[in-house]
Amino acid sequence: MSTDASDVAREIVSTPYLLDADAAKAYSAAIESPPRRAPRVNIHTDDDAARKAGYRAPIAAGEQTYALMANFILDSFGAEFLRGGRLEAALVKPVFYGDKLTMRARVLEASRSALQLEVWTENDRGERVLTGTARVPRPSR
Amino acid sequence: MADDQRLLMCPENLHEGLRLGPIFYVVKPEQIEAFAKATARTNPLHTKSSEQIAPPTMRLQDYALLIASRFRGGSGGVHAKHWSEFHAPMLANQTVKTEGRITSVQRKRGKFYFDLEYESRDAVTDELLVRQAITSVLLIEGKIQ
Repeated sequence: MSTDASDVAREIVSTPYLLDADAAKAYSAAIESPPRRAPRVNIHTDDDAARKAGYRAPIAAGEQTYALMANFILDSFGAEFLRGGRLEAALVKPVFYGDKLTMRARVLEASRSALQLEVWTENDRGERVLTGTARVPRPSR
Repeated sequence: MADDQRLLMCPENLHEGLRLGPIFYVVKPEQIEAFAKATARTNPLHTKSSEQIAPPTMRLQDYALLIASRFRGGSGGVHAKHWSEFHAPMLANQTVKTEGRITSVQRKRGKFYFDLEYESRDAVTDELLVRQAITSVLLIEGKIQ
C-alpha cells in the first residue's frame, strides 16, 4: 500500500468479523496450547468460571482479538509489517461470543521510514475493546 | 502426577528475572492454514508456496507453553496488554526456538499483574523473528483479586 504525508489522519476500516463460539473454537484448535490432563474449564469456556472472575458470560481469548488486529495491519499495509513492524495494544473491554468486531487504523504520522498508527477495535455496540498503536516500516525504494 | 516437579502458578512463585524455556518447534504448514482459516484470512502470503508465511501472531500463544514448561495448575489469567515487534517472517517448516523472562510482577489496585517478555528465533541461524510481551492479570482461585 502506498501512503504519504497526505494520508495523515486517514482512517482505514476492516470488514466486520463475527467472533462467535464457532470462531473461538476454530481459533483454539489452530493454536498450540499446553497439554492438559482435564478438559479446559475457564473464563473462555465456562459460565461459572466467567462469573467468578467478574464477567456476565464466557469471554473470547484476548489473543484472538489481538490476532485480528495484527492481520488487519498486515492486509492494509503490506508484508513490510513483518520486517520491523510493531503493534502494542491494551485489551480494554471483554469480547463476548457473538460480538462483531471492526478493526480501525488512523495514520498519525508518515515519515520516510515508517507510518505511525493509532489502532482500535470496536464491537457492534460501538465500544472499544482494544486500543493501541502500531508502526509499519515503509518499503525501501 | 506425583512426579510433576513444576512450581504451582501463583504470585509467590512468580518473580522478576525468572527465565522460561527455551522451547523448540517446527512451524507446521497445517497450522498456518488452520490459523489463517480461523481468523478469516485470505492473504496469499499464508497459502502453500515455496515461502509460506505464518500469520503474524500465530505463535503468540508460545507464552503459555513457556509458562507450562515451569509451572503447573493455577486458574489462568486475563490478558491485559500485549506488544509485538516483528523482525522477520516466520516460515513454514522453519525450526524455531522461543524463550522468555518474567520482567515485572506487581500488585496494583488489588490485582496481581505480571509481564512476560519472550522472543522467537530461527533455531539454526539464530535470526530474530519476533519479540513480544504479555501483561496478564493472574486469576487467584478463579477470581481477579
